[in-house]
Amino acid sequence: IRPVQASPDITGKVEESIKSAEETCAGDATSGECVAAWDEVEELSAAASHARDKKKTSDPLEEYCKDNPETDECRTYDN
Amino acid sequence: MAACTVYSTQPLRTNISIPTSSKTHVGFNQKQVVFYTTTKKSSNRRTNSNNRRYLITCGAGDSQTIVIGLAADSGCGKSTFMRRLTSVFGGAAEPPKGGNPDSNTLISDTTTVICLDDYHSLDRTGRKEKGVTALDPRANDFDLMYEQVKAIKEGVSVQKPIYNHVTGLLDPPELIKPPKILVIEGLHPMYDSRVRDLLDFSIYLDISNEVKFAWKIQRDMAERGHSLESIKASIEARKPDFEAYIDPQKQYADAVIEVLPTQLIPDDNEGKILRVRLIQKEGVKYFSPVYLFDDGSTISWIPCGRKLTCSYPGIKFSYGPETYKGNEVSVVEMDGQFDRLDELIYVESHLSNLSSKFYGEVTQQMLKHADFPGSNNGTGLFQTIVGLKIRDLFEQIVASRAETPVGAAKA
Repeated sequence: IRPVQASPDITGKVEESIKSAEETCAGDATSGECVAAWDEVEELSAAASHARDKKKTSDPLEEYCKDNPETDECRTYDN
Repeated sequence: MAACTVYSTQPLRTNISIPTSSKTHVGFNQKQVVFYTTTKKSSNRRTNSNNRRYLITCGAGDSQTIVIGLAADSGCGKSTFMRRLTSVFGGAAEPPKGGNPDSNTLISDTTTVICLDDYHSLDRTGRKEKGVTALDPRANDFDLMYEQVKAIKEGVSVQKPIYNHVTGLLDPPELIKPPKILVIEGLHPMYDSRVRDLLDFSIYLDISNEVKFAWKIQRDMAERGHSLESIKASIEARKPDFEAYIDPQKQYADAVIEVLPTQLIPDDNEGKILRVRLIQKEGVKYFSPVYLFDDGSTISWIPCGRKLTCSYPGIKFSYGPETYKGNEVSVVEMDGQFDRLDELIYVESHLSNLSSKFYGEVTQQMLKHADFPGSNNGTGLFQTIVGLKIRDLFEQIVASRAETPVGAAKA
C-alpha cells in the first residue's frame, strides 16, 4: 500500500522541525532547547498522522453519494 | 432517565409567579416546571380549592455532568479509545459544527471529549524560548483547567481556549456546553490534585517503550524527513519529562491498560503481537472489576483448541489479584491475537462482570469497529470493556442521584 501523505504544509513543517531539532541538539543533547525541539517534532508528527487518517477514509461511492443522494446508485429506502 | 417528583402545594390566592432559575445561562439544564390548574368557580361546594399548584422537580442525573479522565502520551491510541468509548453510548463523535476547523473537541449526543492540550499556557514558540516541553507542568495552566472542568461539572457553559496543533498557537476560545459525560483526555488529567478530585473515573493508557517505538515507526515512517534515528531521538528526548510528570499519574488511575510486547514469541520486537493487561483498582465505588472464571483466584487459560481457531502464536489469558503502586488490583491479561473476530464470543462468555446489557455485546461492539487499530488483540477488547464499565458507572450515578429527591418526597 502506498503511504498517504498528509497535506504538504504539515509534511514540510515536520521535515523542517526535524532538521532544526537535529541542529539544536548537535551541541548538547540534554539541553532544554533540544528537548523542546524534539517535543515540537512529536507534536507535528502526531498532527500529520491525524491529518492522514482523516484523508484516507472512505469509499469513492460513499463520497459521491454524500453529494448526490438522489441518483440511482445511491438511493436507499428504509422500507 | 429523568426521575420527576410531583409536589402538590396549598392553594394560593393570587396568580402564581413562575420561579426563575438563578442560573438561566445554563440553557438546557432547567430543572423545574410549574403547572397549575384552575377549577371552575361555578361548582358550589369546592370553592376553597380552586387553585391547585403542582411543582415538578426533575432530579435528573443530567443536571450534573460526570467527568472521566483519560491520560496517555501522544500517539498512543487515545483517539481510537475515544471512538470506542463514544460508540458504546451510541452516535458518532464529531468536531463542533461551524467552529474552528482545528478544534480538538469531539461532541456526540451524550459525550463531549476535550483535549487538555487546550490548556497550554505557553504556545509552541513560548515553550521553545523557555526550553520546556508540553509535558512540563510549567507549560500548562492548571488553574484554568480546574475552574473550567469544575464549572462544566456544575452545569455551567465555559469558553475554552483552543490549542492549534498545526500552527502551534492558542486560538480564540470555543463554547463548551455541559454534556452528560465529559471526557478530559491528554497528558495531565490526574496531575493536579484539584482536577483529580473532580474525576468520577480515571484511566491511564500505559504503552511500554518497545511498543511505543514500534507504533511510532509505523506512524511516522510514511512522513518525509523521519528516519529511525529521528524517531528514537524524539522518544529519548521526551523521556525524562515523561517519567517525571506523566508516568506517576498511573497510581491514581482506576483502570490502567498496559500494552507490552508478547511473551508468546521469544525475543519479539516487531510490536505486532501484544500482551495487554487491564489493571482494575478494587474498592472503587460504582466500579466492579471484570474477572475470568472465578473472582479472586489466579488463573491462566489458553482458549485455543476445538472451539477457538488460533494460528501461531496462539492466545493466552491470565487473571489474578495483585498489588499495583500500593493499591489492591485485579488484573486480566490477554497475550496474542484473534484470527477470527466473531469467535471472540467464546472468550466473552467466560469473562464475568462485563456490565454488558445483553449476551454478546462486547463482541458486537468489537465487530462494529473491526477496522480500528487493535481490534484483533487485547487493546481493542479491554478498551471496549472499559467503555461498558463507564456506561455502567454513569447509569449507577444517575440512578443514585435520582433516588434522593424521590426519597425526600416520601418522607
